[in-house]
Formats: sequence, C-alpha cells, structure tokens
Amino acid sequence: MASVELRGLTKFYGPLKVVDNVSLRIEPGKLVCLLGPSGCGKTTTLRLIAGFVEPSDGEIAVGDRVISSARRTLPPEQRNMSMIFQSYALWPHMTVTENVIYGLRIRKAAADVIAKKLETILTTTQLGKFADRYPGELSGGQQQRVALARALIVEPETLLLDEPLSNLDANLREEMRFEIRRLHDVFQCTTVYVTHDQSEAMTTADLIAVMNGGRIEQAGSPEDIYDRPRSEFVARFIGNSNVIQGRALDTRTVEFAGVPLRVTGEAKAGAPTPLSVRQHEITLSKAKPQDGGNLVPATVTRQIFLGGNRDYLVQVADGTQLRIITSPALNIAQGEQVWLHLPPDKCRVLVE
Amino acid sequence: MTKFTRRDVLKSSAAAAFTTFASPIRAAAPEATAVTPALIEAAKKEGKVVYYTSIDLPLAEKIAKSFEAKYPGVAVRVERSGAERVFQRIGQEYTSKIYAVDVVNSSDAAHFVVWKRDGLLAPYVSEDVAKFYPAEHKDADGQFASFRIWVSIIAYNSSQVKAEDAPKSFADLLDPKWAGKLVKAHPGYSGTIMTATYQMSRDLGWEYFEKLAKQRVMQVQSSADPPKKLALGERAVMVDGNEYNIFQLKESGQPVEPVYAKEGSPLIIGPNGVFKNAPNPNAARLFQSYCFSPECQQLIIDVGGLRSAHPQVKEKVGRMPFKDIKTMKDDAAAVEKLGDDIKARYTQLFKV
Amino acid sequence: MTATQTMPLREGAVRRRFDATQPIFYGFAAILCVLIVLPVYWLFYYSVSDKSGHFTLGNFGRLFSDPTFIDPLITTFILSVSTGLICCVVAAPMGWLVARTDLPGSRLVRHLVTASFVTPPFLGAIAWELLAAPNSGLLNKFYRVVTGAPQDEHLFNIYSFPGLAFVIACYTFPYVFVLVANALDRIPGDLEDASSILGGKTWATARRVTIPLVLPALLAGALVAFLQAMTLFGSPAILALPAGFHTMTTKIWSMFQYPPKPELAAAASLPLLVLTVILLRAEHMILGRRGYSVIGGKSGEPRLIKLGRWRWPALGLCFVVLLNPIVLPYGALLNAALSPVASQPVTFATMTLYNIHWVFFELSTTKIAVWNTIVLGFGTATIGTVLAVVIAYLVTRRVMRGYRVLAFLATAPVAIPGIVLGVGLFLTYTQPPFVLYGTLWILLIAFVTLSLPSAYQQLQSAVRVVHPELEDASRILGATRLRALWQVTAPLLRTSVIATWCFIFVGTIRELSAAIMLFTSETKVISVLIFDLNESGDLAAISVLGIMMLIITFAVVIAINRIPGFGSLRLRNS
Repeated sequence: MASVELRGLTKFYGPLKVVDNVSLRIEPGKLVCLLGPSGCGKTTTLRLIAGFVEPSDGEIAVGDRVISSARRTLPPEQRNMSMIFQSYALWPHMTVTENVIYGLRIRKAAADVIAKKLETILTTTQLGKFADRYPGELSGGQQQRVALARALIVEPETLLLDEPLSNLDANLREEMRFEIRRLHDVFQCTTVYVTHDQSEAMTTADLIAVMNGGRIEQAGSPEDIYDRPRSEFVARFIGNSNVIQGRALDTRTVEFAGVPLRVTGEAKAGAPTPLSVRQHEITLSKAKPQDGGNLVPATVTRQIFLGGNRDYLVQVADGTQLRIITSPALNIAQGEQVWLHLPPDKCRVLVE
Repeated sequence: MTKFTRRDVLKSSAAAAFTTFASPIRAAAPEATAVTPALIEAAKKEGKVVYYTSIDLPLAEKIAKSFEAKYPGVAVRVERSGAERVFQRIGQEYTSKIYAVDVVNSSDAAHFVVWKRDGLLAPYVSEDVAKFYPAEHKDADGQFASFRIWVSIIAYNSSQVKAEDAPKSFADLLDPKWAGKLVKAHPGYSGTIMTATYQMSRDLGWEYFEKLAKQRVMQVQSSADPPKKLALGERAVMVDGNEYNIFQLKESGQPVEPVYAKEGSPLIIGPNGVFKNAPNPNAARLFQSYCFSPECQQLIIDVGGLRSAHPQVKEKVGRMPFKDIKTMKDDAAAVEKLGDDIKARYTQLFKV
Repeated sequence: MTATQTMPLREGAVRRRFDATQPIFYGFAAILCVLIVLPVYWLFYYSVSDKSGHFTLGNFGRLFSDPTFIDPLITTFILSVSTGLICCVVAAPMGWLVARTDLPGSRLVRHLVTASFVTPPFLGAIAWELLAAPNSGLLNKFYRVVTGAPQDEHLFNIYSFPGLAFVIACYTFPYVFVLVANALDRIPGDLEDASSILGGKTWATARRVTIPLVLPALLAGALVAFLQAMTLFGSPAILALPAGFHTMTTKIWSMFQYPPKPELAAAASLPLLVLTVILLRAEHMILGRRGYSVIGGKSGEPRLIKLGRWRWPALGLCFVVLLNPIVLPYGALLNAALSPVASQPVTFATMTLYNIHWVFFELSTTKIAVWNTIVLGFGTATIGTVLAVVIAYLVTRRVMRGYRVLAFLATAPVAIPGIVLGVGLFLTYTQPPFVLYGTLWILLIAFVTLSLPSAYQQLQSAVRVVHPELEDASRILGATRLRALWQVTAPLLRTSVIATWCFIFVGTIRELSAAIMLFTSETKVISVLIFDLNESGDLAAISVLGIMMLIITFAVVIAINRIPGFGSLRLRNS
C-alpha cells in the first residue's frame, strides 16, 4: 500500500474556486474521511484523486509518483484505484458476477485466478447466493455490497468512497458503517471516504478532514476533532455545540453575559473570544449549585421531551440562546429561572 | 474552373452554320464495318451496352429485348430521360471524367453537332447505313446517322372533341374555345420540343407563342407526356407531342386522333452515335449496327410508331404516309446556336 | 491498527496499453467536420465567384433583379405560410383529441399518423395527381358521375397552388401533431384538475390552461412545417410545373439544366440556408426555454377528458383527415398499379399484372435502382448510426475541448435544405482532390449528412439517460473511455441505436432532393427512378415502384415495433 498526498490542490470552475489549496497526507493503509456539508468541495477533491477531474493547481502523489498536476494528469484507468459511487453504478445489463470480475477481466487475469478471487470476495461480502442475479433484483444493501466486492477484488492501492451510505435507510446505514470498517481492516487499502454524516466519519475514520468552502478547516483524529475543535464551523459540525461570544479578560478567563468564565485554551486578553461548549456538557439546575465558578443565570424558553433525553432552549441575560441536552428526569417548565454550570474544562476557546 | 465551357466555345464560333448532315464532302467517308463473329465475341465478353436515350421507355426496352434476343450474352441498360437532360448528364459526366455511356440517341439533333465538334464521337458506319441510308441522313464523317424520324403534331381526344370541331392548324389553337384545354411539353426538358419550338418560332414567329401562353396551357415535360395526358382524358388537345405516341395509343384502342397542321408539322430527327470513350466499345458497335438494321427499323415503325430512313422498311397501314405530310424544315445547327435563347424566351412567356 | 489478514500482493497492476481512444475520437470529429464544412464552403465560394473564378457579388445582383427568381421566392414564402397554417389547424385538434381525451382508437390514429410520416411526399404528390387531376383524376370522375356535371367541370384541381399546399400539408402535419401530442402527454393532469375544481368546464379549461401550455410546441411545430414546405423538392417539381409556377427548390434545380449555372444555383441557395437558420434559432428559443414547463412537485397522470356523445364524431373527423395522406393516395396507387389505364378505376375484370411484370422484368433500370437503394439504405443507416453514437457520446460526456463545436456541426445539416446540400456536394466532389461524383459514395455522403441531425438528437437524449457514473466505474477499474463506451454505454443504448438505425434507413429510401442532383445512370435510386418516370408520364410503373417502396418502409417500421422490449416508434422532430 502506498500513501496518498495532496499538495496545494486547487480547482476552479470558471471563477468559482471549488477546491482551495487543500493539502493532506494519508498514511499507507489508513482510512481518511473528508467530512463536510454539501458544496464544501469534498466530492470534487475525491474526483480529483480519482482522475476524473484535472487540478487547476497543486498536485496529487501516490507513494512517490505524481499522478495529477496542473500540467499532466494520469487518466483514471491508469491509477490502480477503485471507487464506490453514491449511486453504486452497478451495470444493469451484467450479472453480479460479471460486475464483480470486470476489473480482473481488464487486467487479463487467468480464468482460475478469477474464479478463486470471486469466490473469496463473495464470501467476504456475503453475496454468495446472489452471484447470478442482476443488480435490479437486489436490495439497496445488497447492491452496496456488490459495489464493495467489485472495488475490492482488484486489490487496489487506493480505495475511494463517495457517500456510499446516503441511499440506505438508517438501520442499514449503521450496519454498513461497521462493515466498511471491517473490510478496511481486512484489506488495509489506503482509503478516502467522503461523507456529510459525522457519525459515519467518527465510526470509520482513522483521520478526519473537516472541509468547508473548499478548504480543510481542521484535520485530526476523531478525538482531536471532537475534543479540540479549532474553529466555530468545526465545533458546530461535530458534536452538538453552543458557540457563545465573550470578551477575554485574560488568557484563562472570558467574560460572558456578565459572568467571568474559566476556560480551556489560550485566549487573547481584551479580544472578543468565541467559546464552544457541548450541549450535553452544560448542567442545568433550578437551585444555585454550591460550587461557585462558571455559573450563569438563564430562563427556560423551550423544553422538549425526546424520550431518551430532554432538549432545553434557555436564554441568558445578554439575549444569547443556548441549547442544552439533559437526562429525561430533569423537568423544568418553560419560563422558569435556572442556573447553568459551564465546566471550565468543557469551555473551549475557538482559535478561528 | 473550366467546366461547362462548351457552350461558350460554341456560342463564339459563328461558323457553325451548317445543318446536321449537309456538311461539305470530306476526303473519304469511313469504311463500312460489317458485323463479324469476332465483333460478336468481343461484345459478349464485355457483356453489356449502356444506351442513353430519350426514346419512349417501352419502345427503348423493346429494342433492348430484341437486341438481347438476337445476341444473347450482351445486355442492354437503357437510361431514359428527356433529351436535354441526357445532354446535360453526359456533359456533367464527361467533365468529371466519368465514362458510363456507350451509345446515345437524342431527339435534339443539335446535340450531335456539339458532340462531334468536341470530338467525343467515334466514327463507325454500319453496313446498312453505308449501303442504304441517303446522304442527308448520315454524317459525312460517319459519326452518327438518323436512327429515327418523326414529327411533332397536334392531336385531340376524340371522345371529348368531335372531328368537325377539331383544330386544323396552329392558328386554330389560339381560339378562345381551347383555353384551358391544351397541353404541351417543354423545350427545356425535351429535345423534340426544343427542335419543334425552334422550327415553329422561325415559321410562325414568337408572337405565336406569346398568344399561346395566354391559353392556360398545361405544361408537362417530356414530348411523350401530352399524348398520355390526352389518353387519360386530362386535356382535350395537345399542341405538340410525339406523333409516334399517338399512333401507339390509337392503335391500342385509345380515343386519340392526330392532326397535321396546315402550317406544317415540325420535323424531328433523332440520330444515334457511339462514343469514343465508350466503356464497352465492341458491344456499342454491335448495338449501333443492330439499330440501323431493317429488323430494328421495322420494329420502331411497327411498335414505336416512328418513321425510318431505311428504304427497305414498310410503313404501317392506317397511318398518314410520310411523304404526304407537310413538314417544317429542320436545322440542327440553328437549334444548337439558339438553344439557350429559346429556353429563356419560353421560360419568360410560360413562366416555368 | 495491526494488519490481520492481507491478501497476497496483486499480480500486475493495469498495464499501459496503447490507448486508441484519443485518435479514434479525434478521427470521428474530423470526419464530421469534413462532412459538413466542405459543401457549405464550396457553396459560399461559388455564390460569390463568377465564371472565371473571381470574386463578385454579381450573382446575387442578377438573381434579385430577375423576376423569374423573385417570383419563386415569393411563391415559396406564401406556400410555406399556408402549409404551416393548414398543418396547425388540422394537427393541433387531432393532437389534443389523441392525448387528452378518451377518443376511441387513439392508438390507431397515432399509427396512421406515423404512416403519413413515412410516406415520401413526392409519392403522395403523384398519387394525388391520379386522384385530383382536373380531368382524369379519379375523384373528379366520381364527382362527375355522381352529379352529372359536364366533362369540363371538376371539383379539385391538384395542378394549382392550393393543390400543392394541400399535398405538402398532408405529409407535413405529422410534425405538428407529434410535437403537440408529446407536449400534451407531458402536462400532468393536476393542472387541468385544478381548473375543473375551480369550476372551469371542458372548453374553458382547454382554452385557459391547456392551450397556453401547449402553445410553444404548436409554434415550434408550425415552424418545422414551414421549413419543410420551404425546402421540399419532389412535390413542387411534380405539381408546380404543370400548374405553371416555380418554387425556390425547383428554380435552383432548373439552374442545372444545360448550360448549368452553378454560381447562380449557389447564390440562390443561400437565402434558403439563411432563412432556415433563422427559423431554427426561433424554434430553439421557443422550445428551449423551459418557462412553460411544469414547476416542481409530484405530478399526476393526465386525466382524460370525456367526450361523451362527441366520441364517435371526433373519431370520424380524425379518419376524414387521415383519408387524405393515406387512404385515398394508397388506393389510387394500387389502382394505377393494377389497372391497364391509370385513370380508370380497376375492376376484377380489367385487373392486370402487366404493369408489375413490366417494372420488374422489362424496365432495365429497376434492378440497379433497387440494388443501389438497398445498399445505400444499409450503408447510410449503419455508418450514420455509428457516427451519431460516437459524436453524441463525445458531446454529452464533454470528452474533448471543442465539444460544443461538434454539437453544432452535428445538428447543422438540419439547416441545409436537401437540394442545397446536393448542390454543395456536387460542387465539392466534382473537382480534385475528391472526385466522387458518379460513385455511390457521394450519395452516401449526402444521405449520412442529411440524416445525422435527427440521429444525433435521438442518441444524445439516450446517452443522457445513461448515468455517467456507470462509465466512471468502468474507467476506474481500468477501462479506457473507448472500452467503457463499448462495454457499458453502447449495450445500454441498444434499443435507441436500433430505432435510430431504422429511422435513418427509412429516411434514406425516400430521399429525393439531394439524390436528384448527384445521381448518374449507374447510381440511380428508386426515388430518382420514380421521378424520371413521372417526367415521361409512366404512372403505372411509378405506382408499382411506389408501392414497393412503401412495403419496404412499413416492413422495417413494423419490425422495429416488434423488437422485444422496445415499444412503439416514437416520432421525433426531424
């Protein structure tokens, strides 16, 4: 397996900069997730890696070979990659078997080699009894697995996945998330996975690159991204966060709604500072807690019972609204005054 | 582009004032060539002869069939269209160096003036022509001879018009009672009509045509069409058209009657000639010989209703003997010189 | 992450084979350019040259100051407008009846319209000669028998301007019908339901909702009908001459009479070309803007309006209309084929097979014309389809830089009337370096060029339906574009490819306006043979050949419908 490296990758469509100076290194055998909302450039980046699109600037290297650059781009058929498309792209006029062995046929593998590999992959993806069916006769999940089988049987250097689970229903999606991770562990391809679903990213990725507006906002392990979001966008996108605006009094204290809060991270004294605090990390109580620090008074403006938890919307003195998730047992009515406790280690200073 | 300069050359050579056949006696007329077994063998090897002609199609096919019966193994391909179109086609083909035609027959004798001058015809005199044909019906240089002779006549449909009411002269046709009842053919398509129009314009003046144009004449193309339109009952009287078609129709029981105009009937001569660049030269000569044989000439009289220059053939009983017909004088050279002019004036008058 | 089980090292990554994709694609693009650009270039060249090859605008001057040229121009214009109007008046109500109401036998009506569509217009013109020539026409004879009118009176005179407009309209109205019916098919029933819920009766709904929505299609259809009328050659050549007037197309053709004036012919062709381009732009603008289409939401099936007691009269009306392009003319042809005299109605006593015998055994050009027609039909259909598939693919997938130019060139020939193309090809291929005149190749080129636009459009819609990711999936696994096209796209296009093939075949058989300029005795085709026979008035032979042509055409069209999984031939705007 080889590494995949993007260096300063940029793509213009007319005047629109769709991919903006993206640099990323994916270690051999690792699974990287490009995570972001629609229009953030993640699919374009993937298609750049695949070779369907040529870069306006920058380059892409697999191992030590440069395969895409502004001057010269290797066509997809010469990159030794595999791709799983959002629509699965199974050929309707070929059976499952014919779909799966297509890549081997192009590589002119011997018939017995093809047969053996086919059997192995069909077992691995649990498609044994569908070998002679046509894609139109299969369910969504089964089609998904055919796409996987077809991609993996050729043992690619690099595997690309373009929102492969978005067409499945919720239960199947969960199941297939684990399945993809499992297959990755078995085959150990260097993998690039594009999605807009953060739980998919958290489940499958070794490394997450959060993309917004064509650039990578933050790249890191799932814990990194979750615990230490560096920008407001990342904070909002991963985990459910409240982002509040305060004014830094010193490097460890930020004043918010008249209350000085002890925070984690470096604040710049005197500057307006955004803080992020997760919705389930704020404690809500009617009585003022004993522990004196980081307490903010607020009024409950909305409360919704969701079964497994309760969803509160509260308003503090300066008008900011915060959302808080609590256990279902805590039931405070609308209009009541409450005390919010924002634990210092959960109040993170956002860099951007 | 040096295409189609023939007419230009011809226009400028005013010395072309001799009729088709009355050329000054040359040194030695070419020898008559007999039909030898060697010729027949060579013709059979070639297998076919291509005959461009404006002869009525059924007659042309009959001639073809009887030739094929006499000389099995040599097929005749008849290409029939109006003489002017035949001439145009040959011109087009020769300019592009396409030599498809072996033997040509045209109802516009002026064409042969042109072809001879351009050196396109092969000198070939069959025995019959040498022995039997009078001087005015063969070219002094042996390049063509009168294959068929006829007149363009007035005629009427006897079930629509009573014999007493029928027109007796061209002048009669200008009578208002014939308005909308006349049909005539077009000098732009038909060689017969081109010749007839020349002779009529010379003898009756263009004022005649001016008046005729006001009679709401139905315009058709080929000189074989007006007789057919009479037989169909589409019009009552034809202004010009082939006498032989009228004979054929009348003799098969159709209600048509010929009229030989008091002013004289235009005389039409249709020569046959062999091309120098004929693709099947031997078959061409064999066919040419056959055409002037008593057999073929009798055929064109009996079946075709034509007249012949061969003294050994018999006219059919019931038809006006040729010597009794008052004909206008033919002048092929003048036709050739004035052809464009005639067409232009005609188009102006009759609007097509 | 510890590696558990890794597959053994792969044997052989994708080998770099010689990729034929680029040369082949560029080759096709080059062929397309040569096909279209050359004749148009020579046309322009000739129109602005005089006989010695110098630049001059004199040709245009001569033409526009010559009344024998201006008259046909005006005549053609009036003819086209009349035809367009007739077509709209006839086809629009029929289209509405078939698409929006519970008209009984609507499928049959659609089939019969298809039959009008595939009938060659020049054959229809000849058939109408048999029917409506003032004195010998069967209909006029019938009229005289029934009313006892004297010999001179007639009800119809086909040799007239209205006669010509009528005949052209007979075979042009399917274009309007198809556009209107297709547009109506696509309007979902909700829109009309909304009107009726609010109290609008049938006619009010039709007037306020349906008609405005279908107006663009109607206009587009009228434009197409106008264009067809303007550029037809066969029917005017057959009917206008006896009637005593020229149209633009017959005038251009007459300029090739001896002595040929190719400069004038080229100059006369240009106004036709320019006008066609303008009208096509207008049609594109009308239809191209989707403003009139339905916006969003889930739409319902069109609900058929109940005609109630008007059902059978409506069907009767449709059949009366369809009598004109099909029933009467075909009947007249059959009659003429079997009758000893074409103008006499045949009875069992007088029926004869002589005409058929004569055409097939005595007319020496029949064999070669039939052979040429079949060879050209197969050749054109095959080459045209392959060319159209590749070009459609190249354009839809935007494979190469100049794909927009390719798209333009592929549809450009629709702006070149058949006879104009014939002139252009004649000028191109009668001089070095390519002297193709006199061979079947020049006819092949003409037919492929003429059939390319509609073939391309049909296949382009089909290629668009194939998801590009299906090809991407193939390429990422190692297939070149060409291979992906062959193994993935083409099989999925199979039904469209076959339909296009048949469409081109049928169109080629009946082509006359280009063939009349380009044929020689060796390369005659059936349509030209029929035209020649009309020149000498051999109506019986024409009828036999015409019926044969129709039989071949219908056999092919019915065969398409029988191909499993295909369904009925969708009429396309061509």
